[in-house]
Amino acid sequence: MIISSAKPFEEILELLKEEDDIFILGCNACAAKLHVGGEPEVIRMQQRLEEAGKRVVGWVVPSAACSVASFDALVEKSPALKEAKVVLVMACGSGVSTVSRVADLPVYPSNNTDSLGGRSQGEVIPQLCAMCGNCTIYYFGGICPRGQCPKQLINGPCGGSLDGKCEVDQDKDCVWELIYLRLERIGRLDLLEKIWDSDGIPE
Amino acid sequence: MLLKTRLAYSPTMPRTFKEKLLFDDFLVTAEITPPKGTDLSEALEDAEMLRGLADALNVTDNQRAVMRMSPLAVSKTLLDKGHEVIMQLTCRDRNRLALQSDVLAAYSLGIRNISVMSGDHTTKGDHPRARPVFDIDSVQLLGTIQKMKEGFDLSGNEIGGLPDLTVGAVSNTDLSKPMQLLKLRKKIKMGAEFIQTQAVYDTGQFQTFMEHIVDMDVPVIAGVIPLKSAKMARFMNGNIPGINVPPEIIKRMENAEEPAWEGLSICAQTIMELKGLCRGIHVMPIGNHSRTPELLEMAGIRKDN
Repeated sequence: MIISSAKPFEEILELLKEEDDIFILGCNACAAKLHVGGEPEVIRMQQRLEEAGKRVVGWVVPSAACSVASFDALVEKSPALKEAKVVLVMACGSGVSTVSRVADLPVYPSNNTDSLGGRSQGEVIPQLCAMCGNCTIYYFGGICPRGQCPKQLINGPCGGSLDGKCEVDQDKDCVWELIYLRLERIGRLDLLEKIWDSDGIPE
Repeated sequence: MLLKTRLAYSPTMPRTFKEKLLFDDFLVTAEITPPKGTDLSEALEDAEMLRGLADALNVTDNQRAVMRMSPLAVSKTLLDKGHEVIMQLTCRDRNRLALQSDVLAAYSLGIRNISVMSGDHTTKGDHPRARPVFDIDSVQLLGTIQKMKEGFDLSGNEIGGLPDLTVGAVSNTDLSKPMQLLKLRKKIKMGAEFIQTQAVYDTGQFQTFMEHIVDMDVPVIAGVIPLKSAKMARFMNGNIPGINVPPEIIKRMENAEEPAWEGLSICAQTIMELKGLCRGIHVMPIGNHSRTPELLEMAGIRKDN
């Protein structure tokens, strides 16, 4: 899923300073799962904006903001959109972009888009995949060093890890430590011997 | 071969770092830090103290991600003063175009030794918002340079070859990290002709490291950093990856009346032990090289080059 997080409400108010007649568009996919764009968050946004003196003309939560078909399809779901002067999209950057393509209105984001990650057992796991377009994750035991190593090193760790922690963030495990332990567990340490060339192709 | 050997050992014939790597010399390399600014006098003074003592001077490349003068300019200046240099090249600040173009520049200016490394992350340095590049890694850069030596750039275009270039890499010596050893193997496979290591304090641990890579047949030059205080030793243990100062050395430093002298003496002892274990030492003092000649003297290292 695309990991996005809510901008501070003050920042959203600042964005909408000169605007009124706002239509809120949520997203029932990733943003809903992350509680930054589902129905409860959209309703809460409407309340907060109204408390701040803004007029909210309506809202809708499509199944995914990044796959809205057309402006008319949105109007069909929520006719109030016709009255809107601006749209506030509570989704990731793809959602904001897709809505911008179909709506001839100013479109504002309520979220910051962080990475392609996941959510498991209640925990949000950011930066799992670098979306490099050439998936080789199998060779790394299902843990992508391109996505998770701040230096995107695919031939092994740098020398900067201290006690198994990442040079850049001491609270994070060095991803190469995790890859090693995982491949050891599944009995495939041999995969680590591959030398990856500059085009990301194994020798 | 016989002629080459005889030539190589003639005291009147100056030999290159590459030639020395091929024979039995116990090598001394030392680190020179480029200036933060345009005044090269301190770097030159530092190098001057090592004349006749060091076989080659490593010129660091925005070390610890702190912006300094380009190692290309400093290397060329040292070369003009008659020093042999090893120019360091990190993958942090350059994409594959810039890396190759700097290798070509270095070679055309007469630089014959390059040591490659990933480089500390930009967030650790004095420009933490700088975008880190890491387009290719140190293993891939070694592969790239190997290709360049054969006369081709990374895209296969002819570039005429860099036949006399010697390329090295760096490594930690801590065996508790198996991935470090795996990466070292990759570096050697991709053409590293020498390895310079992180600072060694525990020669027993270093000996085990050497035993593990005995099949790799690559000259290893062990890093040394003279300690200045017990505090410095503890700081390095807690903050510098790959450094392990054993408790008995910290104790010696604590009990010393003159810690700086004690640190030098410990370092000299380490060097003497390293003589039997590897091909040389790489001196990386904190600050300048003012005490390096004394250190080498204490360790019984004399050069006639």
